[in-house]
Amino acid sequence: MNIIKGSARVLGDEVSTDIHCSSKYLPGKDTAYIATVAFDQVAPGFAKAFVKGDIIVAGKNFGINSSREQAVHIMHRLGVAGIIAPSFGRQFYRNAINNGMPVVECDTSGITAGDAVELDLAGGRVSVPSRNIARSVPPLPAVVQALLTAGGLIPFLQKHPDWNLKELEA
Amino acid sequence: MGHTIAEKILGQHAGGKAVRAGEIVIADVDFAMIHDARAGNALKMIEKLGAKSLPHVKRTALVLDHYSPPPNMEAANTHVEMRAFADKHGSPIYDVGDGICHQVLPEGGHLTCGDLVVGTDTHSTTYGAFNAFGTGVEGTDVSAVMMTGKLWFRVPETIHIELQGALQPGVWAKDVTLSMLGRLGAEGANYRALEYAGSGVAAMAIDDRMTLSNHAAELGAKAALLEADEKTLAWLKAHGAAAPKPVKADADADYTQRIVIDTAKLAPQVARQHRIDDIAAVPDVAGQKIQVALIGTCTNGRLDDIRQAAAILKGRKLAKGVRMIVTPASRAIYLDAMREGLFEILTEAGASVEAAGCGTCVNITGHYISGDGQVVISSANRNFKGRLGNPRSEIWIGSAATVAASALTGVITDARTVAGGDWRAAA
Repeated sequence: MNIIKGSARVLGDEVSTDIHCSSKYLPGKDTAYIATVAFDQVAPGFAKAFVKGDIIVAGKNFGINSSREQAVHIMHRLGVAGIIAPSFGRQFYRNAINNGMPVVECDTSGITAGDAVELDLAGGRVSVPSRNIARSVPPLPAVVQALLTAGGLIPFLQKHPDWNLKELEA
Repeated sequence: MGHTIAEKILGQHAGGKAVRAGEIVIADVDFAMIHDARAGNALKMIEKLGAKSLPHVKRTALVLDHYSPPPNMEAANTHVEMRAFADKHGSPIYDVGDGICHQVLPEGGHLTCGDLVVGTDTHSTTYGAFNAFGTGVEGTDVSAVMMTGKLWFRVPETIHIELQGALQPGVWAKDVTLSMLGRLGAEGANYRALEYAGSGVAAMAIDDRMTLSNHAAELGAKAALLEADEKTLAWLKAHGAAAPKPVKADADADYTQRIVIDTAKLAPQVARQHRIDDIAAVPDVAGQKIQVALIGTCTNGRLDDIRQAAAILKGRKLAKGVRMIVTPASRAIYLDAMREGLFEILTEAGASVEAAGCGTCVNITGHYISGDGQVVISSANRNFKGRLGNPRSEIWIGSAATVAASALTGVITDARTVAGGDWRAAA
């Protein structure tokens, strides 16, 4: 899963995933329902037009002030292949990795909706060949790559209940 | 280059190695917490994990504080599940009315200096007041801790904040954080740890230090750490905490930023409606009318907050048309306030007192809703539109002193200008 290719779906700065991609403010609505309306208030029609395998290209502080890991479960339901943003809200970033969602901190300027985007997680590169964009980013640390490869913290621990440190460091 | 407190605590818990900001470590967690607003998700994740056993479950407390008391069947049923889980596994449990997670964990002696503590709540930074690395996580994390006792962490960069000089009477840690929010913006310290130091911190009582570490969550901080002193050690001992392992920063620690605040000259601050980083000094907005006054939450529902409010309202009445509710942060605080006669003073003044819990912050219990066009002054930590259940009302945020002084006059008021506003100095 080290190279992810997908079509860019663009969101703006400071998007709260608690507000726009969880039931925190829609009590009683389930994950399946939220997945049909996610991000609609900041990008009308976002969920309806989302195609499995698309990549979210967000603005700064994506997931700001948001604690709910349900947001990542909803994104999996939408079929989000990965997220790139110049910066992420702290808890959202953690929840994404814990739930097997690739997240890459990278300058997103110049990337527009529909662009074919490639994420190389191990190599540390974000490219948009059609726009001659090729940006280096720090490769994700080995532990994070292992969590993402396993599909998140829970499947990781089911396979490696002792965190398998030696294997990871090797 | 030396190390910060965050680097040292995480390094000590990752097998005793020296670690640097930016590294990822797998660290032993000393204590974990799940509260009722996130228990539904956490219990699902534990089930999904399907661990054969949960060897570390007795070091995870379950706290029934957000839905306290439960406003609907779903919340009441979550509580039933939480009690059953605690019974089955022997986890510590704090039931309805016992108090807010960030208050009952330290009061219950569950953490000490040098510890690594996680909780399913952003304000888990509170434990930094006791020189413990406390940070907010989600249900998946806590289920991992119950099963393995460990969790992965990215070691945060640290901002050093020196508070120069004791706060004036009528000025509180809340005002320090609000001024920081005005300076850095909400989430302005996203992902970083804060270290508060200096004579301003030394002069603060534990209650106020807890506000400082707690309210760092609004700055986006991952942790907000203080060094331990005699006050810290005495408080921990009185609450039955394990032997402290105080951690100090090295003199040449590598900080990403250094900020100095002249706390001796700081005036009371408020966050204006809808944004926690739209900050004004109270004298600049004095006269703004308010109709609802709230004291409570994990940020400012402690005994000193209630004492300060009672000192201002003693023998007086709330301004005409003002409604006031005081909600202690824990049952222990409730009992102390009752025994000190503070509830008699507040009740005679026209305020109501509610059982301990989180309601003040987010109207989750339905007791705190405000009417259209009403202005609320609250000692809580967040004020975005609709936070208290009505998007057509305004929430302003200030210290308990500012809330009480404003409830007395009906307009936002500098506690330094009313009798009793200097309570801390007199006490």
